[in-house]
Amino acid sequence: MIDATAEAPFGLTGDDQPFWDGAAQGRLTFQRCDDCGFVRWPAAGVCPECLSRAAIWAQVEGTGVIWSHVVYHRAYAASLKQDVPYAVGLVELACGVRLVSRLVGFPASGPQVGDRVSARYQEVGDHGTVAVFGPVD
Amino acid sequence: MADLLRTGTAPGAIRGRSAVVAVGNTIQGTVPGISADELGVEALRQTLASSGIAKAEIDGLITCKSYGGFGIDTEIGRLAGLNPAYSATLDYGTCNFSLHLAAAVIDAGLASCVAIVYGTTQRSDGNRFTLPLGRQDDAARHGFLNVAGPAGMAFRRHQALYGTTEADLGEIAVSQRRYAQDNPLAIFREPLSIDDYLAAPYLVEPLRRADLCMISDGGACLIVASAEKARELTERPVHVMGIAQQTGLRDRQNADQWMRPWIGQVAERIYPAAGIDREAVDALYIQDPTSVWVMQMLEWYGFVEPGGVGEAFRSGAVGHGGTLPLNTNGGQLSEAYMWGFLHLCELVRQLRGEAGERQIEGLRTAQYSSTFGMMKAASTIFSTEVS
Repeated sequence: MIDATAEAPFGLTGDDQPFWDGAAQGRLTFQRCDDCGFVRWPAAGVCPECLSRAAIWAQVEGTGVIWSHVVYHRAYAASLKQDVPYAVGLVELACGVRLVSRLVGFPASGPQVGDRVSARYQEVGDHGTVAVFGPVD
Repeated sequence: MADLLRTGTAPGAIRGRSAVVAVGNTIQGTVPGISADELGVEALRQTLASSGIAKAEIDGLITCKSYGGFGIDTEIGRLAGLNPAYSATLDYGTCNFSLHLAAAVIDAGLASCVAIVYGTTQRSDGNRFTLPLGRQDDAARHGFLNVAGPAGMAFRRHQALYGTTEADLGEIAVSQRRYAQDNPLAIFREPLSIDDYLAAPYLVEPLRRADLCMISDGGACLIVASAEKARELTERPVHVMGIAQQTGLRDRQNADQWMRPWIGQVAERIYPAAGIDREAVDALYIQDPTSVWVMQMLEWYGFVEPGGVGEAFRSGAVGHGGTLPLNTNGGQLSEAYMWGFLHLCELVRQLRGEAGERQIEGLRTAQYSSTFGMMKAASTIFSTEVS
């Protein structure tokens, strides 16, 4: 039964702060459903598979495969002017999450679709330390 | 297919039950001194004036939310002096979705003559098309901005899978520019060769400026009526033969989301819905915030084999001067970005023989396919004759 007197009877709507806090400490973390085990991103208060509201923030393995990638030559925000050109990829992580992230540390030939990558942690723009991806060592 | 038609069980098989009876649009480009909502109402005024349809005939109003939160039905209705029996606003009207709602509303008998109204001042308001569609705040922190991001990734993956080249993709922008040269409404009309295309710098590699649409101020309007009402209002109705939609709302939780595989489900439904074969389509319209979306829809709807887009244009199978005309207004890449509304204005004018210098003779059936970014797809087939 729902306790109508509680301040948050359904639990808090998911916010993504633990993801950024984890990255600042060099960890990749996402919500994992406590009922069905589905790992979800973006953050939410409900599991999109089974609609359970029970979840924990769990560290996942920071490895995956590049689905595809682009290189930004145009800075679409003032804060990006110092960064262009920069590479961004969609990484399909082993845990099932698909994460958009900067790609770093590739040879001059650039990243390729299907390359295996691993996470590293560095400052991007004004946003502090985030997970970015580069070639598997 | 014939069985489905007889039993009426094909989803979206609304053959001939509603028709577009009038279209209209304002000038495009930078349009100072007028609000987004009033541009929509101005498009309505021009549509009524050019068609001779009285405002009092309008008993349904469907509006499309525009950049900045404008375009709400309650506001447009007040400005236009309408008390319609039915009204609604779609957050993502983008033409096909508004049209399908109008057809469903008419089919349910809630209204018999629906005005679809869209207006925007996003060029004057400085929309740089910066935010990607969808919930991607984390991606924005990495500088993943503009539809060129996901579209560029989709094209690069397509290159890896099928060997498609940048010169192949460039054929789309080049073909549409040729049409735009005959379109006084188009913002980009200067010639564009494939060499010009390839010589231009990347914005988001592998995409260039010509692969991205032209943001514009302006308004557009369509009037859709029941079959019965259409007979009263015009001698040249453009009949809605069938409609189909499919969403991919789980966004990046879906595999290959930016290849937009759910378009393929619309492709499976639209021809049975209309009761025609794909080969019967005389002219094709594809909404094009980027050229990559044109390539994807050409393939998903089966007009081009995967990886065959460049050859389809070079051989004359598709595009300007080719067997299957495509985006004969120049599309959003050359004419103006009006969330697809101008594609439908052009389609209706072509089918009615009102396209001026761009008129292509002998058109009877046309298809308009569009998408709402990375979220959903829709397609409609129109014909000048129901039989």
